[in-house]
Amino acid sequence: MAQTSVIRSKVRHMSAPGTRDQDTQKWVDLLHQVAHHRDREAFRQIYDHFAPRIKAYAMNQGVSQQADELVQEVMTSVWRSADKYADSLASVSTWIFTITRNQRIDLLRKAGRMQAEIKVETEELWQIPSEDNTVSSIQQLSAQRHLSKSISELPEEQMIAVKKVYYEGKTHQEVAAELNIPLGTLKGRLRLSMQKLRVMLEAKEL
Amino acid sequence: MSGYHPDEITLMDYSAGSLSLAQSLAVAVHLFMCGQCRGQLEQLNALGGTLLAQSDPQAVEVQGFDDFMDTLDAKPEPQITTKVQSRLYNPLQNLLPDSFDAIPWRKQTKDIAEYDLTKQLAGQGVRVALQKIRAGAKVPPHSHRGQETTVILSGGFSDELGVYHKGDFVTRDASHRHTPTALQNEDCICLTVLDAPIYFVSGFYRLLNPFMRW
Ligand SMILES: [Zn+2]
Repeated sequence: MAQTSVIRSKVRHMSAPGTRDQDTQKWVDLLHQVAHHRDREAFRQIYDHFAPRIKAYAMNQGVSQQADELVQEVMTSVWRSADKYADSLASVSTWIFTITRNQRIDLLRKAGRMQAEIKVETEELWQIPSEDNTVSSIQQLSAQRHLSKSISELPEEQMIAVKKVYYEGKTHQEVAAELNIPLGTLKGRLRLSMQKLRVMLEAKEL
Repeated sequence: MSGYHPDEITLMDYSAGSLSLAQSLAVAVHLFMCGQCRGQLEQLNALGGTLLAQSDPQAVEVQGFDDFMDTLDAKPEPQITTKVQSRLYNPLQNLLPDSFDAIPWRKQTKDIAEYDLTKQLAGQGVRVALQKIRAGAKVPPHSHRGQETTVILSGGFSDELGVYHKGDFVTRDASHRHTPTALQNEDCICLTVLDAPIYFVSGFYRLLNPFMRW
């Protein structure tokens, strides 16, 4: 896999195509085709790649029954909001993740009993990255692209803790019980993993 | 610039979407006022994006791409064409009148007034309110059975553990007994979220926590 090189520029909103691996750039280009030309073939590629992963997310999150509904809601948002995506702010997978997370929360809220009086929209509580609410510098963004490698470098027990809490939507109590460790130990692992990820990200920026 | 922030595990839960709605409101209000935490959140969101990209794909059963597009074409575009907001948003905006003065405060004591938001927001076992403490006034000493999260919207206060200003995110759990005192010169207005004092374990959690209900 091609490694992205280091960028020192702090200029925001500057697209820097030469610094991305081809795969990252591919999704950016496809999404731009969708945004500017309503290109269905480009969207088909995005759909074919991401829909099965959104489905996997839904199943991991314990919302398997609504998994296909979640996929459709998310892909509809991606199609309709493609022009809101800015490649200087987040990778396509991060952008789609934030939309997926919010749609999952929407599904949960609709299924719960409290929807009638809710006056705060999910999108107000969890903002999708956009030009005006994002502080990312190009540097941070370049560092984020190393994340997949950094995650694989975490000690296994930390990686498992992160995946369970972050990706399976489980509470700390549930994860601690599953792993048969005290709650404090789980929190310790989570903190350590966040520190390690940060250190690894910073080291790669030098 | 805010000096007290949610800890990184709270931000992580928020980013993952597994923090309760009421706690998430407190975090979102802090994020509105804190660029540092917005930066940290972006990294956490990128973690989510990476995990999404790495997951093992599962076949979508209901329909293929062409059917999906047919359905999409048949649906009218909603008037507001997108749910993706662009501007930085104060999540309290739609819950409150334009100014703090216009809030129908309910007097608790001569120094403390409250505006309850619980009905508009939360599920069971959680209390969400705005509190206004008169400049320089002391809140009677108290402790909590659950965790109390406070985000300062205006003014500031101090207690045995520190001095807090606008934007600060302060958590106190049952082990703290504290006596907050509003800073001089200005009334202190804050958002307060009091969590369920009940400790849910394992499978029961999903049944009892409305946010996780299915
Ligand atoms: Zn902060």
